[in-house]
Amino acid sequence: MDSPNPAALPAPQKLTFSYVRRPGLLKITLINLVFNLLTFSIYRFWGKTNVRRHIWSCVHINGEPLEYTGTGMELFKGFLFVFGLIILPFILLSAFLQAAYGQQSPAAGAVSGLFFLFVYVMFGYAIYKARRYQLTRTLWRGIRGDLVGSAMTYSLVYFGSMLAKGASLGWATPVMNTVLHEQITNEMRFGDAAFKFKGRAGPLYPTYALCWVLSFLALIGAAVGISVAIYWMQQNFPDLGSKHVSGHTILVIAMLLLLFIGYMLIIPALWAIYSAKQMRVFADYTRFDGAQFRLKATAGSIIWMTVANLLILIFTLGIGWPFIQQRVYRYVIDRLSLEGAIDLERIAQSARAIPRRGEGLADAFDVSAW
Amino acid sequence: MAGEGIYFDGRSAKARIVSVIEDGLMLSFQGEDTPQQRWSIKGLHPIDPPSPGQPYRLSHEDYPSQRLVIRDGELVARLVARSPHLKGGYSLRDIGHLLGWTVGGLAACAGLAYVALTLLPQPLAAMMPAGWRERTGLQMETAMAGSSKRCATPEGEHAIGTLLANLAEGTPDMPPVSVHVYDIPVLNAFAVNGGRIIVTSKLIAQADAPEELAGVLAHEIGHVAHHHPEAQSLRLAGMEILSSVISGSNGGSFASNVALLATVLRHSRAAESEADAYAEDMLTHASIDTQGMKRFFEKVLKLEGGSKPEANSTLAEIGNIFATHPGTEERIKQIKPLPPGVTPKPAMPDSEWRALKKICA
Repeated sequence: MDSPNPAALPAPQKLTFSYVRRPGLLKITLINLVFNLLTFSIYRFWGKTNVRRHIWSCVHINGEPLEYTGTGMELFKGFLFVFGLIILPFILLSAFLQAAYGQQSPAAGAVSGLFFLFVYVMFGYAIYKARRYQLTRTLWRGIRGDLVGSAMTYSLVYFGSMLAKGASLGWATPVMNTVLHEQITNEMRFGDAAFKFKGRAGPLYPTYALCWVLSFLALIGAAVGISVAIYWMQQNFPDLGSKHVSGHTILVIAMLLLLFIGYMLIIPALWAIYSAKQMRVFADYTRFDGAQFRLKATAGSIIWMTVANLLILIFTLGIGWPFIQQRVYRYVIDRLSLEGAIDLERIAQSARAIPRRGEGLADAFDVSAW
Repeated sequence: MAGEGIYFDGRSAKARIVSVIEDGLMLSFQGEDTPQQRWSIKGLHPIDPPSPGQPYRLSHEDYPSQRLVIRDGELVARLVARSPHLKGGYSLRDIGHLLGWTVGGLAACAGLAYVALTLLPQPLAAMMPAGWRERTGLQMETAMAGSSKRCATPEGEHAIGTLLANLAEGTPDMPPVSVHVYDIPVLNAFAVNGGRIIVTSKLIAQADAPEELAGVLAHEIGHVAHHHPEAQSLRLAGMEILSSVISGSNGGSFASNVALLATVLRHSRAAESEADAYAEDMLTHASIDTQGMKRFFEKVLKLEGGSKPEANSTLAEIGNIFATHPGTEERIKQIKPLPPGVTPKPAMPDSEWRALKKICA
């Protein structure tokens, strides 16, 4: 602990990222579990805050950790705000319509429809606001981050991107993701220093096309496989429809199930190739104060991380969520680098006001930004 | 004690090397480009508990945006030893606070639940406009009947009309009701919103005399007169609102609620007793033998053995008209015979009773 202080090196300096684990996450996890149960999950705002504080403090840039300054109360207020202003009126209106006109009434249906449209239109808003909240609550060397753009604009672009992705059978994804990432990154600040994102979606397309075609083939393969299996079953075991179940039937059903599970595993694994490519390319497109980001993401490591996370999720019945979050942050931090030196002494605190409460919509919509 | 630290002033990202001195009351530090600062020990707040390999970071309640970072392990150890609040992390007091808030919150929730589920539904049900009762009642009947066939013959309908007219004799303020028979192989009768009473074919088949059916109907009319079904549906709405408040989401589907209403909310014992009392009065005023009702209830209790019938429709899951409630036998015992001097009249003519028995044929 008496080593020379890296933070005190003269500027400009090169920045290095590292994830330095420290004990305490298990304790936080257990306390969260107990109090979430006791409070019917209202404690989640405080629990989430404690997890973030822990993880942030393990992310070191040049030996100086990030600091999360958000509080559970801010998240709780954000929740109350959105709940009281949007969710509760909707629930009361629905309950009223249900009592007055019955459950199948067109009025109740229309209100539900409007609510779902609202959720879709505001999804990007929720993401943007949540990210802004987190950035303004992230401190490094006493300086906080921010997002300086309009959440509503981002939300409209986001909504448009969902429509475009759907309408193009997915082919608009690289373009739309680039547009969205460009907008949010260019509006990101650390103090008064800006992040810059510049680049085209073109380089993403070969990988996207590969993944798209491969998953299309996998879909056809699965469909053919299942059809053949069903046909074969009908030919050889006409007793299938009856209540009598033979050993063969069980065998065939097990095979079908395996085929289905295999398909469900192959598709995300295929798309990990694209995710890795997009992460690398987006990092290459991103600069901070003239320095260039690099992210060494690979499909294999993403698949491995995802599988391990899934296993943790399953075997801890979801309780291990903080550890999964930690693994995701570690994945990025361990592979992230910044090429070029930055004159840190020049960076000053932003004078912009920071939001007083956070993530109400994101909580309501169950968005996990980042 | 003294040592070296790094100071961030919260205005720029510049790291300022300072020398730190602690005298028990104050932590003071200064450096080349930092004039002397004095922070009271009491107001210091550790960002994280001290941990090996991690810089120890302090803020102060009077200067919340400033940070003092100490990497000198010995200095940190001495600081923490002298002022235990600098250890950070959870303390027993924090956990006590948390528990206090939790208990308070739970009490508030329980109070809210009491208001929404016990205090409000009954008075609100009495105020529900007729149009609402009608519309929701129709939907509930449709949902509960499911795909079962409705049994209706002109003679059978007429017989039901006669029975209702006879029951209404002596109870001029009887609420308007409609009685529909459905071909459901489960013994049950149920009142839903808007005075709609659903009777199963099995119940009709099991009744040996019109007075037995008269008793069941009088009981259900009792529920209608006391607005019990409406109160139940309001209670359900209250439960949904509460569950959304607690989960913080929009409770999800309002679609499968009839099933929920049926399974979760049976009439309370008090409601059943009210319906019983109403039925007894009604039968007495109409000079219909109350022992028919008593006989039938006893028969059902024996038949079902107090157990739940095999569930094959929503109606079956509601539980029997009474058999699923504890204290049922008590209730049956309380059904008094007609007062002396009142001569029982038949609930309906034999010919009509025979027509009614064939309504599902």
